[in-house]
Amino acid sequence: MMKTKKYIFILIAFLFSAVSMFVSAQTSTTPLSTSGDTVQTTSITQAENAKSGTAFIEESLVNFVEGMGFANLNWQTIVMIFISCVLLYLAIVKQFEPLLLLPIAFGMLLTNLPLAGLYNPELFADGHVHWDMFANGAGLLDYLYLGVKLGIYPCLIFIGVGAMTDFGPMLANPKSLLLGAAAQFGIFATYLGAIALGFLPKEAASIGIIGGADGPTAIYLTTRLAPDLLGPIAVAAYSYMALVPVIQPPIMRALTTKKERAIKMKQLRIVSKKEKIIFPIFATAFVSLLLPPAAPLIGCLMVGNLMKESGVVERLSKTVQNELMNITTIFLGITVGATATADAFLNIKTLEILTIGIIAFSFGTSGGVLLAKFMNLFTKEKVNPLIGSAGVSAVPMAARVSQVVGQETDPGNFLLMHAMGPNVAGVIGSAVAAGLMLTMLS
Amino acid sequence: MMNILAINWANALDIVGFGISMVFILLILLVIVLSLFSKAIAPKVRIPKKNQVAAEATTTAPDNNIEYEEGHLSANDSAAIAMALHLYYAEVHDEESAIITIKTVERRYSPWSSKIYGLNNLVK
Repeated sequence: MMKTKKYIFILIAFLFSAVSMFVSAQTSTTPLSTSGDTVQTTSITQAENAKSGTAFIEESLVNFVEGMGFANLNWQTIVMIFISCVLLYLAIVKQFEPLLLLPIAFGMLLTNLPLAGLYNPELFADGHVHWDMFANGAGLLDYLYLGVKLGIYPCLIFIGVGAMTDFGPMLANPKSLLLGAAAQFGIFATYLGAIALGFLPKEAASIGIIGGADGPTAIYLTTRLAPDLLGPIAVAAYSYMALVPVIQPPIMRALTTKKERAIKMKQLRIVSKKEKIIFPIFATAFVSLLLPPAAPLIGCLMVGNLMKESGVVERLSKTVQNELMNITTIFLGITVGATATADAFLNIKTLEILTIGIIAFSFGTSGGVLLAKFMNLFTKEKVNPLIGSAGVSAVPMAARVSQVVGQETDPGNFLLMHAMGPNVAGVIGSAVAAGLMLTMLS
Repeated sequence: MMNILAINWANALDIVGFGISMVFILLILLVIVLSLFSKAIAPKVRIPKKNQVAAEATTTAPDNNIEYEEGHLSANDSAAIAMALHLYYAEVHDEESAIITIKTVERRYSPWSSKIYGLNNLVK
């Protein structure tokens, strides 16, 4: 705690010094620039007469001051630096999705440092990569951003996610796939909401995908449909995913009765290794043949899962779960944060996206819970509606929330494994929804 | 208000309707296929015929002379098992090495009781 306070103090001190230097630079540049004319004239005369060192030093000083980032700070960049510091605070002290929020916030800080030239949005203007401009000098983050732009990082992350996912609970209870589908209701409801607010259909689809609570899918779809909104959408998606334990429980309690929350579900059957191995192969072929645009996400998810379940490539499985996943997370986080430049972030659209994003999450949660209640009208074996909320894919946080809310009513009720079914089904559901959006809108 | 009316709602609703129905249709298909698949491939617990007969006999004739007392645990035993499980799951228990070999204790050399020292430095 003391350490984090120390780090925050250093950040605030840095910010304070930046502002003070900015003010001093502003006051000092005016006389320097007025004297610049004199300098210019004197330098001409000096050139005619003899080379004088004083003029050279003065000119160098002017160039140096003008070339400093402090002299080029404006209120927008200061606000963005402040926002990045707030996000760093949330990641370090509050530990809100720190694995992603920390690199995102730092990427945001880097991109808003004037004249650093780490990220140049004009290289990716109009949704295309302007390869010819790369030759004129691109920043470090421009090169790293290519991984996002070309849809590489989200897919690599999905390989790691697949290797860490156990589809066993879903295979034991295939009906849980329906709960995963119902939670995607949030995506489409938010799409309508965004359209009503005046967003273009492609932008609305990218905003709607926040409701799927799946970071890589949201990034993948946004880079393809509305790359200009990538920064706000990524920040909204990951922030709300971190807030799942805060957003979901009130909705779950409001939509269920105490009796429903106390429903105990039958123990899941044992899933054989053979089933677990065949499933990823089959699901990839099945979904990709039906919906080809979903193939990259589903394929990567399933190849990671097959590595884990087959048990013959232990080294590869460990690599994708740890090293590959971590390296990609660093690149993805920093570059997604880098897209949050002052021009792209500080506008009314960002506020609208943040507002609609929370509505998307709420709709997704409600959709899952309500479908579970609806299923109870027809099925013999009752489903605890609380597991429906886990259909938003935030794995495994949403399943844990179902477990915690269920145990509030009955401490002897263990819903975690039952909720993992809709939870992993939600990952498939959101990838399918993203594929559909791509098919319909691109 | 005018902006909302100017939006092509028919198109937006088409996308929503088609999107939701497609997500459901696709996942329902997957549910059906998985259910069939699990029926075909799920591990089946087979009771050997000999045991099956015995099992049937116990269910049909509950009054036979099976001594249920054999498996009965005393309250003390139950409490001890419950406590051990609780400690295990709560990770309160220390992890102990299963090796019971006595370790040789390494001692630093000290000349005061050294045999060689005693032999070489004879009392004068």
